[in-house]
Amino acid sequence: MVDFPQSTRRNAIDTIAPESALRVRWRRSTELTAKILSNPATVLGFAIIVAMFFMAIFAPWITTANTPDPYQMPRDWGATRMPPGTPGYPLGTTNEGGDVYYGIVWGTRMSLQLSITVVGITLVVGSIIGSLAGFIGGKLDEVLMRIVDVFLSIPELIFALAIAAILGPSFGNIMFALAVVFWVKYARIMRARVIQIKNSDYIDAARIIGDSKLNIYFRDILPNSFTPVMVQATLDMGNVVLIAATLSFIGLGEAGIAEWGVLVSEGQAGIASGRWWASTFPGLMIFLWALAFNLVGDGLRDALDPRTESSR
Amino acid sequence: MLDMIKRKSGTANSSATIASVKDLTVHFQSKKGKVHAVDRVSFEIYDGETLGLVGETGCGKSVTGRSFLQLLPIPPGILAQGTVNFHPHARCASCTGEGCAECEHTGRCPVPCPSCEGSGCSRCDDSGAETVELLRLPDRDIREIRGDRIAMIFQDPGKALNPTLTIGDQISEVFFQHRTDDLLEASGFDAADREFGAGALKRLASQRNGGIDNLLLSIPPLRGRRDRILKALSEMVAEALAQTHIPNPQQVMDRYPHELSGGMRQRVMIAQALACNPDLLIADEPTTALDVTVQARILDLISDLQQRRQTSVLYISHDLSLVRRICDRVAVMYAGRIVEIGRTDQVFKNPCHPYTRGLLQAVPTAARKRGELMAIKGTVPELVDPAPSCRFIGRCQYEQSACRMQDPALHPVADEHSVSCFIHHPAPAGDAPGFDKRTS
Amino acid sequence: MQLKDYIIRRLIILPFLIIGVSVVVFSLTRIGGSPVGIYLSHEMSQEQVAEIEARFHLDKSLPVQYFYWARGVLSGDFGWSGVSVAPVAEVFPKKLAATMELAVASGIVAVAIGVWLGTFAGARRNKPADHITRIVAVSGASMPNFWFAILLLIVFWANLGWAPIGRASPELFAAVPQRTGLYTVDSLIAGNLNAFFDALWHLMLPAITLGYGATAIIARMMRSSLVEELQQDYVDAARAKGLPERLVLKKHARRNALIPTVTVIGLTFGFLLQGTVSIEIIFRWPGIGKWMADSVLRGDQATLMTYVLFTSILFLFVNLVVDIIYANLDRRVELGK
Repeated sequence: MVDFPQSTRRNAIDTIAPESALRVRWRRSTELTAKILSNPATVLGFAIIVAMFFMAIFAPWITTANTPDPYQMPRDWGATRMPPGTPGYPLGTTNEGGDVYYGIVWGTRMSLQLSITVVGITLVVGSIIGSLAGFIGGKLDEVLMRIVDVFLSIPELIFALAIAAILGPSFGNIMFALAVVFWVKYARIMRARVIQIKNSDYIDAARIIGDSKLNIYFRDILPNSFTPVMVQATLDMGNVVLIAATLSFIGLGEAGIAEWGVLVSEGQAGIASGRWWASTFPGLMIFLWALAFNLVGDGLRDALDPRTESSR
Repeated sequence: MLDMIKRKSGTANSSATIASVKDLTVHFQSKKGKVHAVDRVSFEIYDGETLGLVGETGCGKSVTGRSFLQLLPIPPGILAQGTVNFHPHARCASCTGEGCAECEHTGRCPVPCPSCEGSGCSRCDDSGAETVELLRLPDRDIREIRGDRIAMIFQDPGKALNPTLTIGDQISEVFFQHRTDDLLEASGFDAADREFGAGALKRLASQRNGGIDNLLLSIPPLRGRRDRILKALSEMVAEALAQTHIPNPQQVMDRYPHELSGGMRQRVMIAQALACNPDLLIADEPTTALDVTVQARILDLISDLQQRRQTSVLYISHDLSLVRRICDRVAVMYAGRIVEIGRTDQVFKNPCHPYTRGLLQAVPTAARKRGELMAIKGTVPELVDPAPSCRFIGRCQYEQSACRMQDPALHPVADEHSVSCFIHHPAPAGDAPGFDKRTS
Repeated sequence: MQLKDYIIRRLIILPFLIIGVSVVVFSLTRIGGSPVGIYLSHEMSQEQVAEIEARFHLDKSLPVQYFYWARGVLSGDFGWSGVSVAPVAEVFPKKLAATMELAVASGIVAVAIGVWLGTFAGARRNKPADHITRIVAVSGASMPNFWFAILLLIVFWANLGWAPIGRASPELFAAVPQRTGLYTVDSLIAGNLNAFFDALWHLMLPAITLGYGATAIIARMMRSSLVEELQQDYVDAARAKGLPERLVLKKHARRNALIPTVTVIGLTFGFLLQGTVSIEIIFRWPGIGKWMADSVLRGDQATLMTYVLFTSILFLFVNLVVDIIYANLDRRVELGK
């Protein structure tokens, strides 16, 4: 062995400069945003969503609201079955003289209300039930999860259809039916995530230093378990509208309201005589809405998944 | 003929080379720019030796190893420049691979260069032996080399074995791919035969059989032939497994990888790699994923097989003590460059590069007193468009202005021992560093 | 846990899940109050109403009502269909055959095309073919199938006049004996090729519409799992053995990539069943979906209950089979957590 020159600094391992928790969060979220926006498909999805939200919020300014109820289609019996491009009716009219353009704009507003209400309620309810089941465990977990299993055994569209059918055709009933069907997914995802976190080392560490159960639940577990649920919520913003439109199309919506599914159903009557526009345009809106949230949801999932780090 | 090749190629030393890497440069395209993963790396592997390639994670040692078999993902990888010349051997003609005095019990013999018959020419890189350039070999040809002349062992045997195929299925593939004629011969079938079903049998023995072939082979009289081929195959597989001291090879063949322990899986990987008696074995950290107790046994197995068959080994590892134990020579890599290369005893007794010294000081030994362990300060630099300075700059205790001007090249300090550091050869400009001059 | 134990455990849980589903289905019908209304007419007196309530056990408590309902279902009494003017149990099998023919046809197409497309795209990752496949896949998952059906009808039926509506031409099928209820199979058994092609012709557009979404889901899963498998070490190890790329893909990567895809194929079955409702309405396909939708709009609860119960149980069984296949395929899977 040669005689090594002795270093003056022993154990000269660099210490990593402690970064404040806030700064770490900030840095992470900016990194995540950059990653999400680096995917063109996700950006396209965002663009569609922004346009849709704009249309929904400014509906009363974009069109002249129907009185007394703006969500009812205005009927102009003097201008039925007009093709697109007719002055005053840019996208044509239906058999009953409904303005397709008006229906699309106010349909966006309805879809926004529907998806935010349903996803909001189910997200909160499902997350609370799922996280409690996962955190408390034992009997409670067992009972709740068996209920979830039963709910998941019924295909979701058919389940929602059954509820809405029994309550009678109305938009409110469709919303209620969707809420009953959709919370289970969140409960299951949340429970799995909470259990995963509960068994992780840093929760053990919190326990060892003597944090209270409540503290662990609210400070360590809840804030860290929302990402998978958020991805699902994004995807469901689209799914909910898709299913609601299907139910309306089948005939469980209120006839005459400015809702996309109802409009497609109404327009169906004219296709044999070549009047393609009355169902094509509202259907396109449903498609774009679902597509946008699917794109963003997928992008979000990819960006949050550490395994896709190297891809793309 | 054999002697002639050795005499000709034995320039600086007395043994022939099996492979020589020249100026190998591999870049990876990333969002931030071109990562210079491997930068002008040159070294030779002598026939029958074990060369250790040591370095930290991300220093380019695995990339170097993988480039031998064109296993780099391209893109994002870019082969910027360099060559890897390989001199494949052929099966010994006098013993058909069994091992005899002629081939020094290796079962393999060097092949003279077809254009100069062993005297050395530009075609064969002056070695006199048949030469293939691995990096630019067409797909078909590199596939014939893979698994036959050059084999590879991977870091984690749990991941490198297909979980849905049995051990037997996986080792069989090597024979299907490279030993088709042997399989046909073992079933008493002449490869030149033109009888009914010959095509189907040949396709079976080379794993090109389709659904119709399978149907044809499942009915007599071809059924008997097929079973004889499969029996010969299973004997070959069992023999390969037995080589690695696996108990009950016949039973292990029907197991799935997850049913075996980590050590057993790595034995299977080794059996698979050595099945065709390759000239060169690339072992990419073969013991890293294993328990320490198992590590030693696998290491002994590799060196035992290596000595018996005189297979050359490129042993890639981050573990200095392992490398010291089994390697004849060592090359130390840092940030995509080879910083020091030499015989194991030279490098370990007289480490000449500050990085090698640092590595050795970071390894605990019985001779060293408590508290004398030293870590190298700093972290490996990002290799995105690196400056033309020495790569070790910023972590080196001896850096001077010369080190920032130019990247030092490998220079001999003793017979077979080369170092790339300005301490050992004059710097072109600026203050030269030295072991007596410490910078903080 | 052994595979056998796992299957046995799943089979033990299954009846409880079915009971759970039946309770949910039964409770659903009682949300809207007593179903006695469908048996009544305006002229009935109080006594007559009470007598009807007693006859159908509607005067008892809900759990007792459930018991009577469940007993009826177990003995094959699913109630009365007002739409078909016949017992549900009698109409259901005939309608089911039509739906199954449609669902199975589109399922087969979806699996074949989806797996192929996913493999095709995954093996050409980030190349144009891959991008196109992904666009097709994402749009397929977002497409309202009733809208897609209408678009196809506008083009192929209303404008080009190529595609028919309905299940088959009645005059061709008058002579074909109904053995299985599946028109394509029946016509083949009868050796009536004309009828067979007619059935196939009618089946094509609805099957494409229904299968598109499922194809997209399967292709997406197959692509992403193939991409993931292609990054595994064993793929490089297979290449290092000298295998040609074709075998690396077919024998190694695709085999493993199919495993998670199988799960999705199971889920797709539920997706197909759901989809039949609107597709059958649009194409006037006389299956259980259309029948149920017609019944629902007229307040026929017996049909609805039977439909929900049947699809759920079918869905449960399909998922069980898929899980068993999955456990068999993936030797790494740890059963029961």
